[in-house]
Amino acid sequence: MGKASVRNRLFGCMGAAFLATMPMAAHAQEQGGTLIMIVQPEPPSLASYMSTSQPIGQVATKVYDGLLEYDSDTVEQPALAESWEISEDGLSITFNLRQGVRWHDGEPFTSADVAFTFMDVLREFHPRGNNNLRALEAVDTPDEHTAIFRLSTPAPYIMRILSSYESPIVPKHLFEGQDVREYSNANTPIGTGPFRFVEWRRGQFMQFDRNEDYWRDGKPYLDRIIARFISDTGTRTAAMETGEAHVTAYNHIATEDLDYLDSLPHIEVTTDGYEMMPGVNFLIFNTTEPPFDDVRVRQAVSYAVDRQFIIDAVYNGFGVPGTSPISSKMIWYSDNVRRYDVEDRIERANALLDEAGFPRGDNGIRFQITHDIQPYGEVWMRFGEIVVQNLAQIGIEARIRYEDTPTWLTRVYTNYDFTMTSTSYFNFSDPVIGVHRGYHSNQIIPGTVFVNASRWYSQETDDLMDKAAVELDFDTRMALYEEFQQLIVEAAPHVFAVEPSLVTVYNNSVHGLLESPFGSFWGMDRVWIEQ
Amino acid sequence: MTKSHKRLLFIAKRALYGIPVILGIVIVNFLLLQLMEGDAVDALAGEAASATPEYMAQLRERFGLDQPIYVQLFAYVRNVVMLDLGYSFRHDMPVLDLIMTRLGPTMLLMTTTLFIAIVMGIVLGLLAATGLNTWRDTIISILALVSYATPLFWVGLMLVLLFSVRLGWLPTSGMETIGAGYTGLERALDIARHMVMPVIALSLFYMAAFTRLMRASMLEQANMDYVTTARAKGLTERRIVWGHVLRNAVLPVVTMGGVQIANMLGGSVIIESVFGWPGLGLLAFEALFARDLNLLLGIFLLAACMVVVANLVIDIIYTFLDPRIELK
Amino acid sequence: MTPSASTGFWRRYSRNRSAMLGLVILLSALVMAASAPLIFPGSPFALAGQPRTPPGPEFMLGTDTLGRDVLAGIFHGARTSLMIGVLATLVSLSIGIVVGGVAGYYGGNIDNLLMRLTEFFQTIPNFLFAIVIVAIMTPSIQSIIIAIAIVTWPAVARLVRGEFMALRNREFVQACVVVGMSDLRILAFHILPNCIAPITVIGSLMVATAILVESGLAFLGLGDPNVMSWGYLIGAGRTVLRTAWWVATFPGIAILLTVLAINLVGEGLNDALNPRLRDR
Repeated sequence: MGKASVRNRLFGCMGAAFLATMPMAAHAQEQGGTLIMIVQPEPPSLASYMSTSQPIGQVATKVYDGLLEYDSDTVEQPALAESWEISEDGLSITFNLRQGVRWHDGEPFTSADVAFTFMDVLREFHPRGNNNLRALEAVDTPDEHTAIFRLSTPAPYIMRILSSYESPIVPKHLFEGQDVREYSNANTPIGTGPFRFVEWRRGQFMQFDRNEDYWRDGKPYLDRIIARFISDTGTRTAAMETGEAHVTAYNHIATEDLDYLDSLPHIEVTTDGYEMMPGVNFLIFNTTEPPFDDVRVRQAVSYAVDRQFIIDAVYNGFGVPGTSPISSKMIWYSDNVRRYDVEDRIERANALLDEAGFPRGDNGIRFQITHDIQPYGEVWMRFGEIVVQNLAQIGIEARIRYEDTPTWLTRVYTNYDFTMTSTSYFNFSDPVIGVHRGYHSNQIIPGTVFVNASRWYSQETDDLMDKAAVELDFDTRMALYEEFQQLIVEAAPHVFAVEPSLVTVYNNSVHGLLESPFGSFWGMDRVWIEQ
Repeated sequence: MTKSHKRLLFIAKRALYGIPVILGIVIVNFLLLQLMEGDAVDALAGEAASATPEYMAQLRERFGLDQPIYVQLFAYVRNVVMLDLGYSFRHDMPVLDLIMTRLGPTMLLMTTTLFIAIVMGIVLGLLAATGLNTWRDTIISILALVSYATPLFWVGLMLVLLFSVRLGWLPTSGMETIGAGYTGLERALDIARHMVMPVIALSLFYMAAFTRLMRASMLEQANMDYVTTARAKGLTERRIVWGHVLRNAVLPVVTMGGVQIANMLGGSVIIESVFGWPGLGLLAFEALFARDLNLLLGIFLLAACMVVVANLVIDIIYTFLDPRIELK
Repeated sequence: MTPSASTGFWRRYSRNRSAMLGLVILLSALVMAASAPLIFPGSPFALAGQPRTPPGPEFMLGTDTLGRDVLAGIFHGARTSLMIGVLATLVSLSIGIVVGGVAGYYGGNIDNLLMRLTEFFQTIPNFLFAIVIVAIMTPSIQSIIIAIAIVTWPAVARLVRGEFMALRNREFVQACVVVGMSDLRILAFHILPNCIAPITVIGSLMVATAILVESGLAFLGLGDPNVMSWGYLIGAGRTVLRTAWWVATFPGIAILLTVLAINLVGEGLNDALNPRLRDR
């Protein structure tokens, strides 16, 4: 941490000058042009400070800045904060804010905005706020350009949540006197970001125009960004093919079409650029009821699932087998765990089920279950259909239930009225944010979605997570997470099936698109188009 | 009482009937949608992928979803009577405003489609019926069937592949070229270009039904006693068809046209989805899955009003077309 | 029907070549449905081969995205699609004819009441209404049949009512009333046969509609996920329309042919039942 911070500070001092010379370097960045990106579905609002919904993140990051940015190696870089300092005891972080930054309405940006954003908006209303910022007790503002975070415990993960997607900085002077949830500019946002919000034509598009006063000199390159909404997957592919749209990120092109698009001379397909959004797709068992209260039955299912076939058939090869609750893209990942994708997995599964007291009946069936599918589209349906066939191999007859989203959410996260379901969690930038929620006993919260629905926990794993959350030493923390992963994979409350790659499809006239580890969830000030 | 007086009275009576009908519809729709599991807060929380129980409770309180059903129903009906369709929590704007932004595109697409489908349907049905059992009849019947039986999304995607991707003549989707800044005639032409494919796909579907109905209806009328009488009087086939049969044969087609109004207003989920057309169908579909019930109820209410008016109009047209139908 | 009447009917029907063609196609669909478990034993969802194998010697119509045999899917799907089409149409026609007939014949308050009821069902756009019903009841064969019947009967009712309203003042009906015939008899034996033509047409179109609605629901992910149907196959194959055209195309053709056949049979029946039509 200390080393990174020094480097960042150096970079911060030289940053402006260095970046200003960039256009004259080897790259021939061009000024101007309109970038058309397809966003799917249409965002419900632009209030990214109180919703983490993905389409909101894709558009609102053009308008709002974060305190920090992150490079492709996920290292902290200056944004609204030019430099920062973490105290020895880890209980305070001092941010030196950039001077001369103005909101899109012309008002100056100050430390008061930062304090207001974190204390009154994000901590109170951001869906992950009370978890992300649980250690944040106060933000002191000794002067207009210094903000000091006061923490109750060390919280190393806070440095990982300061992007424009996770923690957008909002204008205090406009929010003041209003209920945050009723903020009158929620859908006509005013930020400090590279693009100004211009128009939202419902059902069609949003328009963002270049912020002429952007604090990063000479940026953004683009004159305009248009976010278009096209709900049909076939039409999205066609729009990319004809050049009507330049970018479709976040897997919104059907995986079946990727090979074809990749073969076109003007289209690029890449899995780069999501380093800080690693995810794991898995099955959740209801571990409080038979048959999945028995760890052997859970392990048997984990053996039965044919991960590589799912990746090939459903994800068209864009993914790797899931092995752990922590994504292999994260530094905290460990492969020193029980492996379920072994050669004799079907034999092992059958043996475990025999041992658990579920013999095959005359028809070869041991027992029947209902498999609820996460209702997020075709891909999940196909995933579930393969799981059903895999389970048939070990004598478990599964019926599929496919309900709509609110019904499914209520069933799984409020009523726990399910046996086995599928879902996916993003790990985000730190296990505390993206992993603990699935396994800690304090994350068994009826009515809250995407937390611990299997209701499995142990004192041991709870303790490991609690220790890791406040541990500042890298190696110690690493060891804690390795033990945590071993215990979780062994207990198998979830079947870690696939780590899908997030795919971006773009027109090759577009450059600089993949500079953020958040895919398309960033300001795009360094993106340019060949005219 | 004169005929026109009777007609006026009839219209007034039917219009008055409409009011309790619409209120009843509002209440039944409201209760129907309460049968669904989960609410807007579950859907919002699901989209955000994480939310605390406190936050969800706050949202429920703010949306009034923590109130008993009858309280919510009473509040909703009271608002509707005051012509207030409520607030869309998901889109964070008044339902009426939201519907209004989509009504124009929906009406544009749907009236064009309905007009083309009815006119083509009557013409083709007439051609088929007057050439009964000839190659003309066969070709028209088979074309109608094939266009009806082909899934809409398949037709849509094929049109896109042909006209946009291969030939490059038409834009794949949307209602107009974004950021082009066209005005006046130029804008109208631009919108027309975007309309070509959705209108073709949709009118093929509707035209088939109208063609078949028109043909069957023509044949049935040709079988009526009055036609035999006319023929006996020595009227030419042409005069019989144009003077008598056609007028009566159009009746079921008009009925069907009226029936389609509600569907039309509801837009076409599939066509709007394939062509990225900003209509009400997709809005309603998304509202259902977001449990944005105020919005869904608003769209249903609008559709209901249209149907009630359309039915009235059909009944009036009937009284003109078939004088034997009484006004009561 | 007396033997001589039925042979007369069959003679008239069999003279109609397109109707016979329709009958042959429809019968083959029925044979496919009946023989599916014999020719393709086991689940049609079974992963039979390499995903996206093109049509060839191993799999006549290829395999889908997960390696399931498309031909097996079409055979098994015939059962589901035909059942949904026929059952939904029967339910819908029965409700529609009763409601529309009674309303049209009696008029007055009964008509008013029934038409308000019909109007209510019609006020919600059909496809959306079907989606709402299926969403409430969770997707299954039963909920899909119910949803289709609920959204389609008002169209039948309105059509029948219009016909009955026009017919009840006709001379032959008045004559029946004068001779003291019962209402039921007049409705069922004198008025109804006179509007069998449009009912046959709307009925045959509705079987098609039902099959298409099912495919539309499947397209939106609201089909019965445990039962193979043509709609399911098309829905699952639509994302690979460019790269594996056979997955959605063959079930599409199956729907097309079946719908065509049902209509040809419907027309043939209509012509055979109303012999005067052909004598123009």
